[in-house]
Amino acid sequence: MTPDGRAAKVDTVTNAQQPVIAAGKLTKRYQGSVLALDELTVAIPAGVTALVGANGAGKSTLIKILLGLLPATSGTATVLGYDCATDGSAIRTHTGYMPEHDCLPSDISATEFVTHLGRMSGLPATAAKERAADSLRHVGLYEERYRSMGTYSTGMKQRVKLAQALVGDPRLLLLDEPTNGLDPAGRSAMLDLITRIGSEFGISILVASHLLGEIEQICDHLVALDGGRLLRADTISAITRSSEFLLIEVDEGSELLAAELDRRGLAPVGYQRGLLVQLADDADHDTVRDVLADLALPVNRLEQRRHRLEELFSDVGSEAVAYEAKGAADVRG
Amino acid sequence: MSADSAGVIHNIGYRSYQGERLGRPQIVRALCWYSLRSAFGFGRGAKAKIVPVLTFVVMCVPAVVSAVVIALSSNHARPVSYDTYLSALRILVLIVFMAAQAPDLVSRDLRSHTLPLYFARPIKRIDYPAAKLAAFIIALLVMIEIPLLILYLGTVTQLHSGSQVWHETKALIPGLLVGLAWAVLLAGLALLFASFSGRRAYATGAVAIFFFLTLTLSRVLIQIGQQGGGGQGLAKTAGLISPFTVLDGVRQWLGGTSPGIVPAPGGEGVLYGLMFVVFLVVGVGGLIARYRRVGVA
Repeated sequence: MTPDGRAAKVDTVTNAQQPVIAAGKLTKRYQGSVLALDELTVAIPAGVTALVGANGAGKSTLIKILLGLLPATSGTATVLGYDCATDGSAIRTHTGYMPEHDCLPSDISATEFVTHLGRMSGLPATAAKERAADSLRHVGLYEERYRSMGTYSTGMKQRVKLAQALVGDPRLLLLDEPTNGLDPAGRSAMLDLITRIGSEFGISILVASHLLGEIEQICDHLVALDGGRLLRADTISAITRSSEFLLIEVDEGSELLAAELDRRGLAPVGYQRGLLVQLADDADHDTVRDVLADLALPVNRLEQRRHRLEELFSDVGSEAVAYEAKGAADVRG
Repeated sequence: MSADSAGVIHNIGYRSYQGERLGRPQIVRALCWYSLRSAFGFGRGAKAKIVPVLTFVVMCVPAVVSAVVIALSSNHARPVSYDTYLSALRILVLIVFMAAQAPDLVSRDLRSHTLPLYFARPIKRIDYPAAKLAAFIIALLVMIEIPLLILYLGTVTQLHSGSQVWHETKALIPGLLVGLAWAVLLAGLALLFASFSGRRAYATGAVAIFFFLTLTLSRVLIQIGQQGGGGQGLAKTAGLISPFTVLDGVRQWLGGTSPGIVPAPGGEGVLYGLMFVVFLVVGVGGLIARYRRVGVA
């Protein structure tokens, strides 16, 4: 590294305020004038960040630009303080990347594969061997790591993909759809793993996903893209604070309840076999309690639920629209 | 890391890496070495070693037999020349080796979509094909030059005077240089054709068909020319079609005297030299262009 490079590195480590990833008016127009990123300006702090958006929202394009593999049409981007346009090599030394698609040769063992990619990350032979063994153990692959990867389950393959991203001791991980193709148990195991890497290993992580529901559980921050534009960037707690709902199910008198809640300004919507109301603050809890007591209805279920973030973004971030659309659909169904 | 957590083996915590990180040249060298190993099936199962080991043995057998013949004969004359070394056998064996092993270097990474993992590391686009090319050139050098060295050692151990050894060494050097030209030219073309498809069978087919077809065509035309069908001109220029005949034409143009697979090109030698450059540029340039185009992630 040059003295400059080292200085930049120290800065990023000591200055926690400095974003891990920063983009300024970042635009990418592919040949044929497809606009993949449209003046994206965002600063992502250290920690675990979700990068969400539908397919084609620009997530993969952003990751490729951040890795220095794709030149931006205009605008700036930095990763760990390095410029994506000029310091791609330095970025890739300190960043681990887990692609979305399958990328493992079937005829060699995980140990051999991860060791080789450790060497490709710039580790000397002995260190690559040690770190490959470490990484595979961290992701939960033990004896099976000596078997050829063609025999692996999808879950094991995803773990190897994560291990190869970890092997070079990155300061940042870019994970593209890490739960793709996994069963529910595999998903939660992968999410636990990502949480552990973020909290215990102290590595910043950007997780691209189109499944908000599961990603919101493990992230500190959320960046939502839509059609190459920034839809929203905030902490998860700030986003979910405004999206708490209460599901009320009564054995009888549902219409009566709905009318009364409506009268007190809570705008209930039918959801499954009950009513869903949005809670703005604590007073709304009291209102619901009072209504139920006043009407003396037999309460079957009273459940606080976090509305799935997915629905918040289903209609350009308009929570009310998503909420009502969902309710209306359920009533009709 | 602390003693009290030793009871749970799998939970020793994350260890960050403080050691040295190698630069781009050393990473490329590591990739080259890894590819060279895979060219001979090392680091793979036993099945992957069958073709490379078998072809290597077949290449060496004539050298070993010659060495024995030299030892037993009265005048210790070497029956095989260094610069041609049983052309027909060498060509056949090399085509089999290239068709079987070139896909192992490039095609499997395409098939398993491993390339994005390479490009997401601190190397440049061109480093990948460059390392693969260097590795395959070395692999072909092993295939071509080691039999020559066996032949050389088998001969010089029977010689008694220093001048005879010097004479023998002077004969070996052009042979080694011809081998180098073969390795460089063939490696680029073989890898280019192997990188057309991620499917191993197609990659193997592409390599084999290219080399066999051009060679057969060239030899048939040479034969027709020599029988007077198209005059001497046809016989001399028909050799421009195949990399093997071009290599042999260049060898003779530059002063090689052993009879080869093409008639001595004489004045057309320059054309052979030109064609050598064309094949080289197509092979190496095509390979680099191939990996410039390939998609990432």
